[in-house]
Amino acid sequence: MTHPKLRGVLLPLALLFILPFAVSAADPDGASLFKANCAACHSVGKGKLVGPDLKDIQKRQSEDWLLKWIKSSASLRKSGDAYANEIFGQYNIEMPDQSLSPSEIKAVLGYIKSEGDKASAPASVSTPVGGEGASAETDSSGDNSFYVLLLIAVILLVVAAVLTRVRNGLQKAIRAKNGIPEPALLPARQRMYVWARSNKKLIAVAIIVLGVWSSVKGWYMLADVGISQGYQPDQPIAFSHKLHAGEMKISCIYCHSGAEKSKTAGVPSVNVCMNCHKAIRQGPTTGTAEIAKIYAALDYDPNTMTYGPNSKPLVWTRVHNLPDLAYFNHSQHVKVGGVKCQTCHGPVEEMTVAKQFAPLTMGWCINCHRTTQVKLENNHYYDNYHPVPELMGKHGRDTVVTVEKIGGTECARCHY
Amino acid sequence: MEKKYWKGLDELKGDVEFVEKANNEFPEEIPVDEVFSRKSEQPATPRRDFLKFMGFSLATATLASCEAPVRKTIPYLIRPEEIVPGVANWYASTFSDGNDYCSIVVKTREGRPIKIEGNKRSSVTRGGVNARVQASVLSLYDSARLQGPLAGGAPSSWQEVDGKIKEKLQAIAAKNGNIRILSSTIISPSTNKVIADFTSKYPSAKHITYDAVSYSAIIKANQASFGKAVIPSYKFDKAETIVSFAADFLNSWISPVEFANQYVQNRKLRGKKTMSRHIQYESSLSLTGSNADKRIQVKPSEQGIALLNLYNRLAAFAGASTVKDKPVRFIKSIEDTAQLLWKNKGKALVVCGVNDIYSQIIVNAVNKLLDSYGNTIDIENPCCLKQGNDADLAKLMEEIKAGEVSALITYNTNPVYTLPGAEEFKTALQKKVELKISFADRADETAALADFVCPDHHYLEAWNDAEPAKGHYSLAQPAIRPLFKTRAAQESLLKWAGVEMDYHNYIQDYWKANLFNTQSKYTLFETFWTDSLQNGVFDSSMAPAAAKEKETPENKKNKSKNKAHRNSQESGSENIKIDLEAASEGILRNSSDKNGDWELVLYEKAGLGNGSQANNPWLQELPDPVSKVTWDNYVTMSPADMRGKYNLLERGDNTGDVITLTLGNTTVKAPVYPQPGQMPGTIGLALGYGRTKTGKVANNVGVNAFPFVQWRNETFQYTAGNVSIGATADKHEFAATQTHHTMMGRALVKETTLSEYIKDPKAGNEEELFVYTSGKESSKKKSEELNLWDTHEKPVHRWGMVIDLNSCIGCGACVIGCQAENNVPVVGKDEVMRSREMHWIRIDRYYSSDMNAEKGKEEGKGSMQTLREMESPSDNPEVVFQPVMCQHCNHAPCETVCPVLATTHSSEGMNQMIYNRCVGTRYCANNCPYKVRRFNWFKYSDNKQFDYNMNDNLGKMVLNPDVVVRSRGVMEKCSLCVQRIQEGKLNAKKENRKVKDGDIQTACAQSCPTNAIVFGDYNDPASEIGEVAKDERCYHLLGEIDTQPNIYYQTKVRNTPEEKA
Repeated sequence: MTHPKLRGVLLPLALLFILPFAVSAADPDGASLFKANCAACHSVGKGKLVGPDLKDIQKRQSEDWLLKWIKSSASLRKSGDAYANEIFGQYNIEMPDQSLSPSEIKAVLGYIKSEGDKASAPASVSTPVGGEGASAETDSSGDNSFYVLLLIAVILLVVAAVLTRVRNGLQKAIRAKNGIPEPALLPARQRMYVWARSNKKLIAVAIIVLGVWSSVKGWYMLADVGISQGYQPDQPIAFSHKLHAGEMKISCIYCHSGAEKSKTAGVPSVNVCMNCHKAIRQGPTTGTAEIAKIYAALDYDPNTMTYGPNSKPLVWTRVHNLPDLAYFNHSQHVKVGGVKCQTCHGPVEEMTVAKQFAPLTMGWCINCHRTTQVKLENNHYYDNYHPVPELMGKHGRDTVVTVEKIGGTECARCHY
Repeated sequence: MEKKYWKGLDELKGDVEFVEKANNEFPEEIPVDEVFSRKSEQPATPRRDFLKFMGFSLATATLASCEAPVRKTIPYLIRPEEIVPGVANWYASTFSDGNDYCSIVVKTREGRPIKIEGNKRSSVTRGGVNARVQASVLSLYDSARLQGPLAGGAPSSWQEVDGKIKEKLQAIAAKNGNIRILSSTIISPSTNKVIADFTSKYPSAKHITYDAVSYSAIIKANQASFGKAVIPSYKFDKAETIVSFAADFLNSWISPVEFANQYVQNRKLRGKKTMSRHIQYESSLSLTGSNADKRIQVKPSEQGIALLNLYNRLAAFAGASTVKDKPVRFIKSIEDTAQLLWKNKGKALVVCGVNDIYSQIIVNAVNKLLDSYGNTIDIENPCCLKQGNDADLAKLMEEIKAGEVSALITYNTNPVYTLPGAEEFKTALQKKVELKISFADRADETAALADFVCPDHHYLEAWNDAEPAKGHYSLAQPAIRPLFKTRAAQESLLKWAGVEMDYHNYIQDYWKANLFNTQSKYTLFETFWTDSLQNGVFDSSMAPAAAKEKETPENKKNKSKNKAHRNSQESGSENIKIDLEAASEGILRNSSDKNGDWELVLYEKAGLGNGSQANNPWLQELPDPVSKVTWDNYVTMSPADMRGKYNLLERGDNTGDVITLTLGNTTVKAPVYPQPGQMPGTIGLALGYGRTKTGKVANNVGVNAFPFVQWRNETFQYTAGNVSIGATADKHEFAATQTHHTMMGRALVKETTLSEYIKDPKAGNEEELFVYTSGKESSKKKSEELNLWDTHEKPVHRWGMVIDLNSCIGCGACVIGCQAENNVPVVGKDEVMRSREMHWIRIDRYYSSDMNAEKGKEEGKGSMQTLREMESPSDNPEVVFQPVMCQHCNHAPCETVCPVLATTHSSEGMNQMIYNRCVGTRYCANNCPYKVRRFNWFKYSDNKQFDYNMNDNLGKMVLNPDVVVRSRGVMEKCSLCVQRIQEGKLNAKKENRKVKDGDIQTACAQSCPTNAIVFGDYNDPASEIGEVAKDERCYHLLGEIDTQPNIYYQTKVRNTPEEKA
């Protein structure tokens, strides 16, 4: 039985799900070219960086001039162009030659124009990027299957209530038709009791199911105590790994330089941030707001490019917390073992906010140690290693040397 | 429908009151009011409610703890280039506190020093450290340290203090008032120059050097004998025969770390079968006496006469003129000693620890007869330690009492505590000296009286240099930024002298001007400086001329012979000043005025020394090497005397009688502890205790023995005759870590004599065979053939240690080294009394006994009587030391009894202890035959009951971040420094190489000044340990139970003549 009303609800729901995926990014060329080639030094409508703000650049200069400038600013200056020399005088830094085709430059200029228009338009949330109508829902691209399920459950409950009423009405009608008197309405508790007595099997099954469910659930709940997989705390700076490691493709080791040398990978010191952010003063998502926090920590004035005396350290929230009783050394895994950062930390390059990917439980460690093969031949450290039958499986047939086989699951490797 | 039955008419009627009552038949409300109101005297908290509360709080606490705490992390703003968080940095530095000197390397983590180790590049201390130097890192984090300057006892600022002091000093200088700088020995040439600068600015200023324990008699005697007011350098490694008259040169005498290392060079039996013979004449059983091959008990009053007799015997051999002497009871020993010395002429060394000029002159004469100068004594390159001048100090005291001193600046010294007439000095100081300045790091006994306290940096925060022996220099560099607003004393002096200069630059200038030109290796001062700083040491004697001596042994021998010859001739010409007759008369005069009951000997303990680091809980809890008592000093008395004369409680549950000691006007109350080997009629008392103003740990621990120091013949005497003792009704409890004193006939420490060893290298280490019966067959087998267990395989490494009992002198440096490395808590006296000390390594000390099983049988004594007599040590026992830590058994008894597998075996031969798996059954400790497991009876960190370093944030900075701090209820024990092993392995892997032998050192092996402990990998064919383990002297402790430990011991060999063995 398909309720006509239900169909009316489900259809828009289904559409709601399909739509976000249907919306595709518009203007791929211009935007990505800008990000790849220009964004390090220029912004659109967000102020000066290393080079000038490019907003309304088309209004200032002709497209022809721009084409020449972008191709080679130096030769344009040499040709004696007054504006080119003026710009150079202002910024005192030469813009590197860009190896872009004229069509690509045009695409970039188109992107700058559209961005400039967007920036000058009054702040409105629903400015369409590509013109197609993507609703605000797309922004919260979170997991909404829960709400769908909830909705279905509500609908089903309503259906059940309607059906019960219908059944009761029909029973009443039959009793009226057959002349059976209405049974006396017992107090609710007694009615429950009566019902329970007549449905012993159901209750027994329900109790068993409930018992099993709650013990299983409880077991897992208790096993989860102290495990903070998925832990994603707020940080003092809205630093995006997705932007830095993902889009900008900065190597993890660049900032977490301890990973190859030390037990801790280390939260980078602020001077590491400044290596880039001395030049890059504005980000694509948060503008200057978050980068300003780096400057504030160092008491750095970006305009005068000087450091003040009132620096104060940044207090980050640790995402990965191993208990004190476990000793873990990054360099052993990264440098010696050649383990990729992502093996334990997950796709960090896709995380806007850093998140604990692995459970970091002992079982999780041990499982890896049991299955990971050690490449003995790659390291002279193992020159003295001799396979021992006892450790190599019962008959010494097991030829794969795993971490476990060289003692990697012994207690005092991590606990001391 | 069901019938309803009524309980009564009331219910039927629906009486409101009844229904309410009926519903409340079993009131279940929590009687909060009753519990929390204080209406009645007795709180009405019934047991059930208590349980309810407890259950509730337990549940809430559990729930609350489920939530992981949010942990913050604060990275550097600008990371210093040399620091990688998580990786230790090492800096070469120097420990020199006016008493000890050691060249060291400091381990720092994230900018804080956490461990001190010996600097192997030093040619003076050769990588050795002692317990005090090891523990000095904890003194850095002492919360009793002053956090800034004090003016009149109140906190002040440097600016204010400087202004006032300058003003006062100038006023004093203007009226030509005397300014005196009183310090302990300063071995820093730059500091001496600073003082010179200061005195040139204030011409009325004078620098006086005074050591709490003085050696000025040696200096004076050398002045008299050779015209050189120095302490010579001694070469114990060159001596075949060492005779010491009360010089505790392995523990406290002049430069013990240096001497201990030299001493064992001729005691080790690696690759050779000769060793030196060491004879000790002394009253109290010292650490050095414990290690002697022959120890002769002598009263302090007999020491001088013994020396005279020895001189006369030797003079007879040499045909020199003799002096007057007096017969002694132990003339046979003196004759034997004289013969032995004469036989080893040129390879003999006689030292004397008595601070008496006459005795030292005789010792000089003895050494001259024996050709020691140029061979075993180097007077040309003297030692620069212990330059204190007692006569100067006496003069200063007179001046102060006469009101002639206007300003007194004390640096690194605490005269109010260490001077014998302290009370008198104190009042004179308070009344007659108008300006008193102290550089003390805390408001100690002297600083408390000062007008200004200008706290000096801790040595780990400061720049300094040192010249421990002529031509040997070392540098100290800061390993941490100053924790408090302290300032280097040198900078303060410079400032008051009107020189605005950083002390760091000052040292550099000094080195540039004075040391840079003594070498030819470096042409640039900058490289010379950075290399010296990195090495920590610089030997200016390493000039080409000195290097040439590294030639063939024969050549060398000839050369030294020539040199010796030359030297003896030279010193012969200066001979005129030795007035042996006067010395002999002086000795005889002094020895005749002892007519009292008791003679007192003051000594320094391995832990506290002269007491300057008393507020260090590690040192307080370090068991005395000989008596094994912690947290105390006490009167040591021969057990025979205790029984005979006074009927004192000899030994019972660590309780002792308190007696009074009286000498002249001085009376102190101190407990008596039985000390086998103490000369009857003499008593001993340790210096360094009884501090009153040093901090919460040490205040009023023990009694101050300095008031017994005597002034005689221009020097301080650390022995006294005419001491009388009186009984009191008081009892005192001792916290001793060892209460059994003999081996009861079991060969825990295997011993033999040198002659036996030469005959058979396995002597004393004979294999024990066990009867094995299978069916009707019966045979004798070795313990390892009777094995129930499978072997553990060791595919890569097998770590272990070999401990040479011949080299171990029992000093205790390893105990502190281990404590610093492994976050071992301090438990306090009370817990030590319950045998709950937590040290992972202990040094067992056993005395020999006059009784043994055979002798008991011969004399027809019952077995019980024999055993009882075996328990008591001899009157003059032989002593053995044995460091015992977890033996890392391959067949470990502890592993089989753990119900939760918290202790397991690793594939590298280690017995692993997993704290977080441990549930605290203590089965393992009960099953351990070596008793090396320690149980955490309490939480020792963040616990007010254990108010030591782990209870405050400052003290916790010393903790090693690679080792977990154990919590209550778990077992712990030696881990073989697994964190160091893991680190060493990881470094090898990172560098794509095998682990090099010597890369990894356990804390105890590193600390050992005599290198008695060799750590390494038995699987490495090229390792030192692989070589040593093949030695015939190696044995397993309790080998008969076949636990197959990875720790080996090597038989102790004594160089005793055959007739005695």
